[in-house]
Amino acid sequence: MTPAIDVASLRKSFKGRDGTSRAVLKNLDLQVAAGEFLCILGPSGCGKSTLLNVLAGLDKVYEGRAAVNGGRIGYLFQEPRLLPWLTAEGNLDFALSSCRVPPARWSELKTRYLAMTGLSDYRDYYPHQISGGMAQRLALVRALCVEPGILLMDEPFSGLDEITARRIRSDLLTIWEETRKTIVFVTHNAYEACFLADRILVMSGGAFQKQLRVPVPRPRSYDDPAIFEFSRDVIKAFGDGTSEPAAPAVPATGAKLIDDLDRHTAARMNT
Amino acid sequence: MLKLMSFVVAVIVWGLLSLTLPPEIFPGPYETARALWGEIAAGHVGTDLSMTMLRVVGGLILALILGVPVGVIMGLNRRAEAVLDIWVMIGLTIPSLCYAIMAFMWFGLNETAAIIAIAVTAAPSITINIWEGVKNVDTKLVAMARIYEASRPAIIRRVLLPQIFPYVMASARFGLGIIWKITVLVELIGRPNGVGFKLFYWYQLADMRQVLAWTLLFTIIMLLIELLILKPIERHIFAWRPQVAV
Repeated sequence: MTPAIDVASLRKSFKGRDGTSRAVLKNLDLQVAAGEFLCILGPSGCGKSTLLNVLAGLDKVYEGRAAVNGGRIGYLFQEPRLLPWLTAEGNLDFALSSCRVPPARWSELKTRYLAMTGLSDYRDYYPHQISGGMAQRLALVRALCVEPGILLMDEPFSGLDEITARRIRSDLLTIWEETRKTIVFVTHNAYEACFLADRILVMSGGAFQKQLRVPVPRPRSYDDPAIFEFSRDVIKAFGDGTSEPAAPAVPATGAKLIDDLDRHTAARMNT
Repeated sequence: MLKLMSFVVAVIVWGLLSLTLPPEIFPGPYETARALWGEIAAGHVGTDLSMTMLRVVGGLILALILGVPVGVIMGLNRRAEAVLDIWVMIGLTIPSLCYAIMAFMWFGLNETAAIIAIAVTAAPSITINIWEGVKNVDTKLVAMARIYEASRPAIIRRVLLPQIFPYVMASARFGLGIIWKITVLVELIGRPNGVGFKLFYWYQLADMRQVLAWTLLFTIIMLLIELLILKPIERHIFAWRPQVAV
């Protein structure tokens, strides 16, 4: 069976303003099986968002191979990125029409995923009228509505308060168990990774340092001591694998540079 | 309510101040209103007012046609921004009187020249507004739309334009504020009718009652346009925006 995501010798570097180039992805190899829940764990600026952008096709400048099979890609950003002038339902319609989902199916899809996330009563609300947690949940509904085979998630819950984040993580697992989509979930939160993933790849300095399988059986409960134990091991492994401090690491000065560069690529994408 | 009270206070203050000078130099609110009503009743208002409105609307449309594309280009392209920003500043600095004189000398004493002079004066301020707006476009939303496989035209229409539109609206209102004032000046120099012409005419006859009457008329019309046309349009279009309490 072909893997849903197949990355081989993926390299990417950014040119700084002074002409020096800085490698952000160093020879990555990655296979993700269909239906797998993979977490990529690493500190800010380690290249994990860059990797997701390459997988999503937002960033087309790289060397090596990055193949994605198994259908449309859904992407959940760090922020909800809803269109503020459209209602909740309008935002879903935007995604559905952009992806050319046949209109006959819209109502069924919207109803299904809104119900799964408890947002059924908020169809007519504008993004600014709902809480941050609800907005991020709505973004998840939007991503699911277009029925992606693969869901890429870039620290989607890091901006939320812990109680809300916890609830959405559990919702996400329930949805994943029901739909069995391939998920690549990027985070700097070790506990979150241990709760969610089948497999964790520890990333730092643009390379995968370590691979860990999460031995906790499903369905999982957020307060399971086994998850806590394992997350401690993960954090320890983190310390061994790299010279940098363990997560959540303080972003190095280089990280700021990468943010800047990301903004440049975004600007270039726009023209 | 407060607004209404401030109007009442303003009229009272006007009335009191006018007592300090003879009425033919500084007429009070009552005399001004009577003079205005006399003009309206005699049917002297229609032609001049409609000609002024025509120039205002024509000037605004042309100013938007000139100003918006330049602003968009400057917002999108750094090189264009670097070249054009000094020219926008120069355009902004040149007094509207100069534009008016040049337009009448080059294009003749006609409506076209008047509208060109008005539009060229207002266009730089419109450009600046749009330029700022386009620079503020959220590229993160564009990346989002690309994830959902939106086509380029769809991204422009459904993601970029809705973000730029509030700035077009704001610059149109802002431009209108400038255009009212230029139009009167342009009429004073080179047109045989309009509110500006009337103001100058009555000034030459030293009839302050009429000068204030026409000023009052113009102000009332402007306020009505603002309150009855622009505000409701804005409220309707931007209903999605959060109410901000300052």
